[in-house]
Amino acid sequence: MLRGLIAGAVLAFAAGAQAQAWPAKPIRLIAPYAAGGPIDISARLLAPKLQEALGQPVIVENRPGAGGNLGVELAAKSAPDGHTLAIGAIATHAINPWLFDKLPYDPLKDFRHVALMVQVPNVLVVNVELPVKSVKELIAHARAHPGKLDFASGSTGSTGHLAGEMFKLMTGTFMVHIPYKGAAPAAADLMAGRVHLIFDNLASALPNVKAGRVRALAVTTKARSAFLPELPTLDESGLKGFDMTTWWGVMMPAKTPEAIVQRLNTEIFRALESSDVKERLRAMGSEVPAVRTPEAFTAFVAAELKTYGELVRRSGAKPD
Amino acid sequence: MEGIFSNLWLGFTVAAAPFNLLMCLIGVLLGTLIGVLPGVGPVATIAMLLPITFNLSPIAALIMLAGIYYGAQYGGSTTAILVNLPGESSSVVTCLDGYQMARQGRAGPALATAALASFFAGCVATLIVAMFAPPLAEVALKFGPAEYFSLMVLGLVAAVVLAHGSLLKAIAMVILGLLLGLIGTDVNSGVLRFAFGISELADGIGFVTVAMGMFGLAEIIANLEHKETREVFTKKVSHLWPTREDWKRLWQPTLRGTFLGSALGILPGGGALLASFGAYTLEKKVSRNAHEFGKGAIEGVAAPESANNAGAQTSFIPLLTLGIPSNAVMALMIGAMMIQGIAPGPQVMTERPQLFWGMIASMWIGNLMLVVLNLPLIGMWIKLLTVPYRILYPSILVFMSIGVFSLSNQPFDCFLMALFGLLGYICVKLECEPAPMILGFILGPLMEENLRRAMLLSRGNPMTFIEKPISAGFIIVSVILLVIIALPALRKKREEAFQEG
Repeated sequence: MLRGLIAGAVLAFAAGAQAQAWPAKPIRLIAPYAAGGPIDISARLLAPKLQEALGQPVIVENRPGAGGNLGVELAAKSAPDGHTLAIGAIATHAINPWLFDKLPYDPLKDFRHVALMVQVPNVLVVNVELPVKSVKELIAHARAHPGKLDFASGSTGSTGHLAGEMFKLMTGTFMVHIPYKGAAPAAADLMAGRVHLIFDNLASALPNVKAGRVRALAVTTKARSAFLPELPTLDESGLKGFDMTTWWGVMMPAKTPEAIVQRLNTEIFRALESSDVKERLRAMGSEVPAVRTPEAFTAFVAAELKTYGELVRRSGAKPD
Repeated sequence: MEGIFSNLWLGFTVAAAPFNLLMCLIGVLLGTLIGVLPGVGPVATIAMLLPITFNLSPIAALIMLAGIYYGAQYGGSTTAILVNLPGESSSVVTCLDGYQMARQGRAGPALATAALASFFAGCVATLIVAMFAPPLAEVALKFGPAEYFSLMVLGLVAAVVLAHGSLLKAIAMVILGLLLGLIGTDVNSGVLRFAFGISELADGIGFVTVAMGMFGLAEIIANLEHKETREVFTKKVSHLWPTREDWKRLWQPTLRGTFLGSALGILPGGGALLASFGAYTLEKKVSRNAHEFGKGAIEGVAAPESANNAGAQTSFIPLLTLGIPSNAVMALMIGAMMIQGIAPGPQVMTERPQLFWGMIASMWIGNLMLVVLNLPLIGMWIKLLTVPYRILYPSILVFMSIGVFSLSNQPFDCFLMALFGLLGYICVKLECEPAPMILGFILGPLMEENLRRAMLLSRGNPMTFIEKPISAGFIIVSVILLVIIALPALRKKREEAFQEG
């Protein structure tokens, strides 16, 4: 008991001392995806804000590969001294653990989940030629034409793919999944009418929805989106409990001192609330998240991990 | 028609604003620089510059970033011609004849041809973008998996024509390229193929890694054999400019290259890549000087250089009109637009005409700047050839390593490049050409992906490739080409035409 107390005190002291010296050198922020994508952009929006607040350069490092696994693995295995941050996302922390046989990290145990940054809804969009105006009509159409509809996605195991599989499971319909290499060619084939529907992220779908080139039927989140308030949710369209968002946030190696995690959480949310970052993330379809503390973020990741484990298993998305 | 001119006028008033002009100049300067540096490409550069663009106006940011992209197309040909190093996929073919020209002391005319052909193509393609962007975007949408697959088949069949050695070796190299292209995650099932548990291979091998190794590194190793007796190309330099005879030979290929490049550049996904390969192949088929190809034919520089520049310009069409990126650089441009709060899509043209037309006008201005910049530089580049090997090659090696590393910040890629350097050297010894392999490597994965997607969409019915008219057209041309290559009588003729020495 006493030993525990002393150990605790020593640890707290050590953490305090470390926190005072922190940040002692430039901080790297690993973006596990290619430059220019939404995750990279949000990292690059955040970096200058953190740099200003912490007084040390914050350098975004793109480490793409293996669906984001390479980058977050690197972060998990870095020294937990507060100088390595990484963006962890729904793919790396909720889906990939179920898709990859040997994942070189544990999405819960190897990380401190510092702050959820972005949550973007997916939208169910259909080709304008498809004679359906609502989710109800889509289900009826799919039932009347089993196996005739195609749904596209950016890759096998992406949120778009899993949303489609979830839709099939909940409605008891059958549609063929057509995987693409990235969301852009999938969106092009939707416009051209080669595939019938797609669960695309809101920001990329929005311009073509507004231009009338594709038709949006519903958002995949539980609540309606502020960007298309007239668009119903899948949940209210008869698919009770349907709730999927694409998300990502800042994570650090598991043993990072508590004081650093808390401080970063504060600074990240200060950045997210600042008008310029807020406005630019809104352009990507994201509002400031309601999940605010590191603890709540960990609970959020754990819940997502569980949800997608179930979904990957039931949908057969995992390669055999 | 009048609308176009008033729109273009609007564009020029935007693009000619002093600050935008400055941004355009910075963009093309940077682009030329990174184009010349082997391995350091526009993707890494634009990614690094993205944060700086936060504080610029949207139009200034996009003008600069676009300048980097097409500027790199100009610069890329310089290293291809001087040291046989394709910095960009599009300059792979420029190596074939450009480097041979340099070896014959004709680096000057080769560089001038590349710059002028690029300029001409850039101007024409800009005009095409301005006049036909929206209808051309609809054409791009006509290309689905079946059409792409058939186009790739045609490309592969044509790849064999690229080689100027034995037909068998060319086919073997194409197949080797196809096999290498299989490495990575299978798009349909998500299964890892040929990755041997190395997670760095999960996304396949990068094109730049292969090209740097097979061309650049192999060339360096091969040259080490010739001690210091470097065939310094400068000793024989007689003139920097193309001769009257050269001009006569290069204007037609430039025209054809420009139009082929403009057409293929519109297609998202590999279209722009095909442009330079396609233009070269076409010239080799139609040229009266076909026997000179691969040995320093000026047509072999003019055609692919005009094609790749035209393709670079028209690849903006799907981005600007549909919000669909046709390559990695265009994906970055989408990122740059999103940072500025602009959602790329069909509404950009109508809601932000200044941005749309300003960018198009800036492309023309940028091309003019590039040609003015590049022509006087030719003399300087030639001087570079007098730098002794012991200084030139180590520095090239350093830049190549930096470039390859910068692709995804993985040291693994540098080792992989070294491995391909070794393979490239073996190929030099076996007299196997790397160009068909590179084409196979690029086309293979695209072809497989589109084949399987087309079959999924048609529920396993292969007739889909013949029922679709565009696809059927490509298949028919491929078959005709195959017959020409395979017919024994004709084949003998081909061997005569293409066999070296």
